[in-house]
Amino acid sequence: MMNPHLLLLPVLLPVVAAAVMLLLPQRFAGVRAWLALLTATAGLVGASLVLVAVAQGDRAVVLQVGGWVAPYGICLVGDVLGATMAVMCQFVVGCGVLYAMGCVDKCVKYPAFYPLLMTLSAGLSGAMLTGDLFNFFVFAELLVISGTVLTAMSDHRNGIEAAYKYFYVSLIAAFLLLVANGCLYAAYGTLNMADLSVRIAAEPDVAVALIGMVMLIAALCIKAAAAGFHFWQPDFHTTAPTPISALLSSVVVKLGIYGLLRSTTLLFPHRADEIGTVLVVLGCAGAVFGGLGAAGTHDLKRMLAYSTIAQLGFILAAIGWGSPVAIAAAIVFSVNHALAKAAMLMLAGSIASVASIKSASFSVVKGVGKRRPFAGVLFLFGGLALIGLPPTNGFISKLSVLRGGVSVDAWIALVLLGLGGLITLTYVARALQSVWWSPPVGGELPPPKRGDSLLAPAILVMGCVVLGVWAEPLVQLGDAASAWLLEPSAYQAEVLGAHADSATGSLVLDAQTTLDPTNPKGGQP
Amino acid sequence: MNLLIAIVLGGMFGVGVFQVLRRNVIRSAIGLMLMGNAVNLLLIHCGAYDGVIAPYTTMAEATPELQVADPLPQALVLTAIVIGLGGFAFVLGMVVVLTSRYRTGDTAELNELKH
Repeated sequence: MMNPHLLLLPVLLPVVAAAVMLLLPQRFAGVRAWLALLTATAGLVGASLVLVAVAQGDRAVVLQVGGWVAPYGICLVGDVLGATMAVMCQFVVGCGVLYAMGCVDKCVKYPAFYPLLMTLSAGLSGAMLTGDLFNFFVFAELLVISGTVLTAMSDHRNGIEAAYKYFYVSLIAAFLLLVANGCLYAAYGTLNMADLSVRIAAEPDVAVALIGMVMLIAALCIKAAAAGFHFWQPDFHTTAPTPISALLSSVVVKLGIYGLLRSTTLLFPHRADEIGTVLVVLGCAGAVFGGLGAAGTHDLKRMLAYSTIAQLGFILAAIGWGSPVAIAAAIVFSVNHALAKAAMLMLAGSIASVASIKSASFSVVKGVGKRRPFAGVLFLFGGLALIGLPPTNGFISKLSVLRGGVSVDAWIALVLLGLGGLITLTYVARALQSVWWSPPVGGELPPPKRGDSLLAPAILVMGCVVLGVWAEPLVQLGDAASAWLLEPSAYQAEVLGAHADSATGSLVLDAQTTLDPTNPKGGQP
Repeated sequence: MNLLIAIVLGGMFGVGVFQVLRRNVIRSAIGLMLMGNAVNLLLIHCGAYDGVIAPYTTMAEATPELQVADPLPQALVLTAIVIGLGGFAFVLGMVVVLTSRYRTGDTAELNELKH
């Protein structure tokens, strides 16, 4: 049994680091950057240790914060899913910091840049490790506000417009999440996810809880940029500073994916079929329309932003199918997509940084790839990962999704997803052809200048290839996670421990009081 | 939840949604605030049980008939108000920058990103 306090590393350390950075004098830009890198590394180490412990047989690492045991206190839960997601987030955040350190944008020099990046990281890991629904909302808000400020301060002139649109949509998502919290609390008298899961299973059909469920799913779909809820996404991910857009498009959208996985397996397994149908439809629509949107844009970064909608479509469909193989596929796909998409957006940003004006529009970056041949090699491998061809990890994720679809005989959905995959091929090939193989606009390359460093995307692409060639550990992790998720009683037992029984008894705050029809308010609004 | 509160809450939320859909950025920001407050009001009123006296301070007087109010939603709503305050202040800040940069307060004209 390992020390559960390690769970605090990826959550608390970034917040502390952000506070320290804000206290530093303005001229210490280098110190702030290195401190951010150090924090991300420490968070990665902490999350990895938790993941290793969980994978080696601990069922879950649970920290009852402040000694207040669940369900009364707030707990942090590092189970297979949470720890995998936290490791993925911390790794990509680390790469984002690395990219920002070698980035020529003006905005990375602002004193608030790294502190905000750190609070974003804290919100991300916190939301994925918390065991409390309201705490999930708080961390998600931290994430949203940091991400919006980072986009609003972008070098791109229209960053503020994208940030404004996104923040509106996000605030409405936050209201939905709050209403969901309120409804579930009114119905079951608890917000601890394990305790909620026990009580929902005991009494599944409370009308108010159903409203809460719908609100929760809608809020999570907005966070995951599912088709139909995605209108903010292309603008937002295009105008953000490159290191930030790499994070937003790869790991921040995974927050919604994580929440949906928890909703269908832990909170509402009895409604998994209904939610699943919605998710499969949204997923297939996303895969096709996201792909078409990507093929139709005139901007490299915007193309990749649309591509995120398409790739998330695959994950949503896999969650919707809900069979053990499909859930494992969703987790494997999430990790693989995070690496590939972050690398691709960083490469697009680094190409834009050597173009004549700072823009990733195809009319500007056409032929500019000649200044960056190494970026072309990386882009090729990243592109293969997006399309899903060996030797990259994208092949493994597409293969798992295929297995997931076959396991539930979802042939129509598979055909639509296959179509989405084919569209990926066309737009990635078009981008490669336009940036690296076409003659530059006007026949002349722009004068050479110092662009963004390629170190971070190189690391990420290397990760893609390594996970493609040696995929076994990740696939096994996905299988273990799906087996764990489909057995909610194990999660409940780990979190509630000895208090598992008290969840249905004794306290003033119990379900009896809540649902007592003689009580004038009855707890139900 | 009594009927009056439900009506007030629904009305506030409705006005909020209507204002958010307006084209003026300031009106829609105010609509957002109304919606946020309606949700906060909902949170206060969805306690797990229905008490009539204040929690903690008057705990000793509690009887089965005179139960203490549920303290958890009150804690939740405090957090939600603080987060909402930060968010709303940020929206207003963005409105200031947007209107000075785009020289308009009409959301239909804030569309330079449309390709």
